[in-house]
Amino acid sequence: MRSVHLLLIAPFESLGFMQTALVACLALAILNGAVGTLLLVRRMTLDGNVLAHAVMPGAAIGFLYAGPSAMWLSLGGLASGLAVAAMAGLIAGAPAWRDAALLAFYLVALSLGVMLVAWRGSNVDVVRVLFGTVLAIDRPMLLQVAVVASVVLIIIAALYRPLAVGAIDPGFLRTVGVRTPYNTIFVMLVVLALVASFQAFGTLLAIGPMLLPAAASRAWKLGVAGSMALATVFGLAASMGGLLLSYHANLPSGPAIVLAGCVLFGLSLLASGTLRRVAPLAQGGA
Amino acid sequence: MTAVIGANGAGKSTLLAAVAGTTRLARGSIERAGSLAYLPQRSSVDTNYPISVAELVMLGAWREFGAFRAPRRAIWSRLAAAADVVGLTGRLERRIDELSVGELQRALFARLILQDAATILLDEPLAAVDEQTAQVLLQQMMRWHQDGRTVIAVLHDLDMVRRWFPAAVVLARRCIAWGPTESALATEAA
Repeated sequence: MRSVHLLLIAPFESLGFMQTALVACLALAILNGAVGTLLLVRRMTLDGNVLAHAVMPGAAIGFLYAGPSAMWLSLGGLASGLAVAAMAGLIAGAPAWRDAALLAFYLVALSLGVMLVAWRGSNVDVVRVLFGTVLAIDRPMLLQVAVVASVVLIIIAALYRPLAVGAIDPGFLRTVGVRTPYNTIFVMLVVLALVASFQAFGTLLAIGPMLLPAAASRAWKLGVAGSMALATVFGLAASMGGLLLSYHANLPSGPAIVLAGCVLFGLSLLASGTLRRVAPLAQGGA
Repeated sequence: MTAVIGANGAGKSTLLAAVAGTTRLARGSIERAGSLAYLPQRSSVDTNYPISVAELVMLGAWREFGAFRAPRRAIWSRLAAAADVVGLTGRLERRIDELSVGELQRALFARLILQDAATILLDEPLAAVDEQTAQVLLQQMMRWHQDGRTVIAVLHDLDMVRRWFPAAVVLARRCIAWGPTESALATEAA
């Protein structure tokens, strides 16, 4: 019993940075559960990945301007994320080029970001921007994550119906005369969520805690609300597992959390598939 | 009730999309009188999305509840009636991924019924559905016609057009004939 306590609880009990990291991960898990599930059902995972990298050049400019300040990194990231989202919106009219263009955006953003950070900063700064620093989250940063998570969640809750209809039948709202650009609004929410995740997980990994728990939860074929809730639980479990792994084995925390998310996704696919084979009548009941 | 016919690439779908307002016009303008409902070819409904048939059909009444309000009780009874007409009673609680192609098309027709539009545009509504479903959908088009609504449908089966549609438009990149079905088809053959 004592060893279980030492293994699972003690690190969070005694260390302030582990506590802050856990709370930040909880806020991000709630945010990512909703945003990640919507990204999946709207089949926009590639867009999500591109936007995650799109945050980078702006964050790098923020870094050049003010050093590793949470606020300037976020503001810069937000600006370049929205700029790339706007460019992606412009190419929406040319579906044949869409994938290639998105890939080009992602590569340009990543390379430009690395070059900008390396220009003035050290390799440590580059690694920090690429992979994040969950364990270095401080109170102001935590507050920022919590505020962004709350705002995005409230907007998603308010606009859930049109966002869902946009996923089910993209052309339908136009045919009933709706002109509000809900897709654009959703992309902006994704950028906001990615900016919140960016400090913790970096531009390379931010999409991981957003999509992996959501994908793991989609394997259970729940409704959308149930899927979001389960994705949040999975996200928190992956965060705890990853943080403990990184603490005990002295490994980088962001990648550990993303790997824990991958393991959860694999187990979820395996378990839900097995369950469907064993009890085929139970499927789709929820 | 007008059928739109013509070879592939003749501009049938473009005509409907232009009338519906979902495609940009190269030139000219379209005047629309009254409300309009449009069912595109190969509807873009993502059947993997976990919603029920009832919820999909309910979207037809979108103008009445919009993004924020709850549907009124009266809409639920209209929904039940529409489901009955297209033969989906008892399947309303199913997930849309459990429906066959024909059943999905029936559900989309029920959605059109709820839209309660003065003009109904249907792009190949009978493609890929079985004979029985086609009959149900044709009867519904007839009912709209008898209600005094305008039904414009793209179709390929000329026998079906002769049997059911009093008027036809023949397209081949431009309008070749437009009028009573028999004379329009005769112009095309000539």
